[in-house]
Amino acid sequence: MSALGGGSGGGEGINPVGTVVGIVLLLISLGLIYVLSPGMALMALIGVIVGGLLIGFGVHFVPVGGAPAAMGQSPGIATGVTMLAAGAGLAGLFGGAWAAELGFGVALAGGAIGGGLMMAITCLMVNVVYVYAMGIPAASGKVAKDPITGDTFEAYKSQGTEGHGLPFVSYVGGVIGGALGGLGGTLIYLELLSVYEEFLPAALNAPAEQIIPLAVSMAGVFAVGMFLVNAVIAAYNITGTIEGPHDPKFKRFPRAVIGCAVASAVCGLMAILVAVL
Amino acid sequence: MEELLFGIGISAVAGALATVSGAAEDTESDIGSQGDPNSQVQLAPQMGYIHRIYSKAISGEPPAYGLWCALGAGLAWALMAINYNPVLAIVLGSAIAVFVQGVYATTAYLGRTASLAKFEQPVYIDLIKSVTTVTMAHAFVAIFTCVSMCFLMVNALGHPFPLPLLGLVWGIALGAAGSATGNPFYGKERQYQTQAFGAGVPISASGNIVRYAEAGQRSSLDNGWFTSKMGGPASGVCFGLIVFLELWRTIFFEEFAAGWGAVIAGIVLILIFMIIDRFVETWARKTYGPYNTEESAEEASS
Repeated sequence: MSALGGGSGGGEGINPVGTVVGIVLLLISLGLIYVLSPGMALMALIGVIVGGLLIGFGVHFVPVGGAPAAMGQSPGIATGVTMLAAGAGLAGLFGGAWAAELGFGVALAGGAIGGGLMMAITCLMVNVVYVYAMGIPAASGKVAKDPITGDTFEAYKSQGTEGHGLPFVSYVGGVIGGALGGLGGTLIYLELLSVYEEFLPAALNAPAEQIIPLAVSMAGVFAVGMFLVNAVIAAYNITGTIEGPHDPKFKRFPRAVIGCAVASAVCGLMAILVAVL
Repeated sequence: MEELLFGIGISAVAGALATVSGAAEDTESDIGSQGDPNSQVQLAPQMGYIHRIYSKAISGEPPAYGLWCALGAGLAWALMAINYNPVLAIVLGSAIAVFVQGVYATTAYLGRTASLAKFEQPVYIDLIKSVTTVTMAHAFVAIFTCVSMCFLMVNALGHPFPLPLLGLVWGIALGAAGSATGNPFYGKERQYQTQAFGAGVPISASGNIVRYAEAGQRSSLDNGWFTSKMGGPASGVCFGLIVFLELWRTIFFEEFAAGWGAVIAGIVLILIFMIIDRFVETWARKTYGPYNTEESAEEASS
């Protein structure tokens, strides 16, 4: 990572060849499942792909400043994109899995709120440390005014830095990103859980109640794994630091969304084949 | 009613364990320079500043803690499966996980520092002896409390995930919360104490970390002493609040509106935190005032 994250130029657009290859891979995955087990498994794979999209999109909202933020050289939270998004999404997955027995809607909402709450608390504590322990007010380096509160930043920026702290728009972006991550992770978990509960008893020749702990564990492990896959793809798309939805880098999200859809389709295919075959 | 009180009591204990875990995690990572500011420790010799700071960041804190907590939880789970007492099982599981952390710390320090040989940065054997054991001790506290918290979630609150998976999930969340909250205090406030307070570090000062203590050269043990006063507790409060509120809103409000009560409670909590954050932000703007280029130096010295 460079001192202030990757450059803003280079690779902004969508590569047509790569996109076509990706979409072909995605269609092959869907076709394979359609041939092997149409119906529930196909719907589950579509759910997994949507979950991956939500994670990839959500990561772009999370304000991450990496090492420069730890020195007060750039705004954001002082850690890596993948790390933070994964932390928030997995906290959401924890809540979503807990609420799974209360129904699909409650579980999804529970997962989203769990991720959002984790980010809300983290962002607040980050700002508390910046303000009360380091004496640094929030100032964005990418925009002159906060799009939500209308605060101006130029006069609050220290010399020789690209801004610092966590402006309110970044805070809101963090909460949205955490919520989308939690929602996507929980969706993947629930879809895989339904597939495992349906197919594993026949595949292993065991009663359904004995299968439940195995189904929960497998769905959880695959959900965590796919969460990290999608978060890493989105992090590579961002390259370095991002301040949140107002950052020009945010506009790169369509590329990550395509990448995440393809990766989720292939990973989801493997996860579903384990049970279906 | 009794069940509800029991659940809230368990949430409080889990929150307390999480607070200790977060504080120990951040202190451990500051002693070992594992967080994001570590790039400055790595950069310093290239800028001509030879130092005695430990450097063990070969991956971020969240995956590293995900590994250690999953390892501790997995071993504890395996020992409990052969009828070990849960407390003993968690202690043994965490202790074995800490040895993995110690191996990781040693090889990471040797590898990272050896890569700086061409900038004449030496490998200090005495640092390996003194610092590695201290980071292992802090890591033990962090892993033990995190695994204990996960054990409570599975056995007392009935979360469906098995213990090792919960260890992985909360280990990653622990690393994420600790690395987000504690890193700025270690990076800006500790490594750059020669820079003005109340301002960011200019990019031109990159690598010029503070290398000398009150007497002699500073080692990473001094970092733990300093950051345990603010960065560690702040990380602990952050992680403790996350765990406590996540459990509390579920246990207390899940009965309402067929589960939607917990969701609504979560939304209300998020809005409350948003308001507090806005207050903190406006307080900083009013109190520190706008700096312009001439005033920034004066403000710093006052």
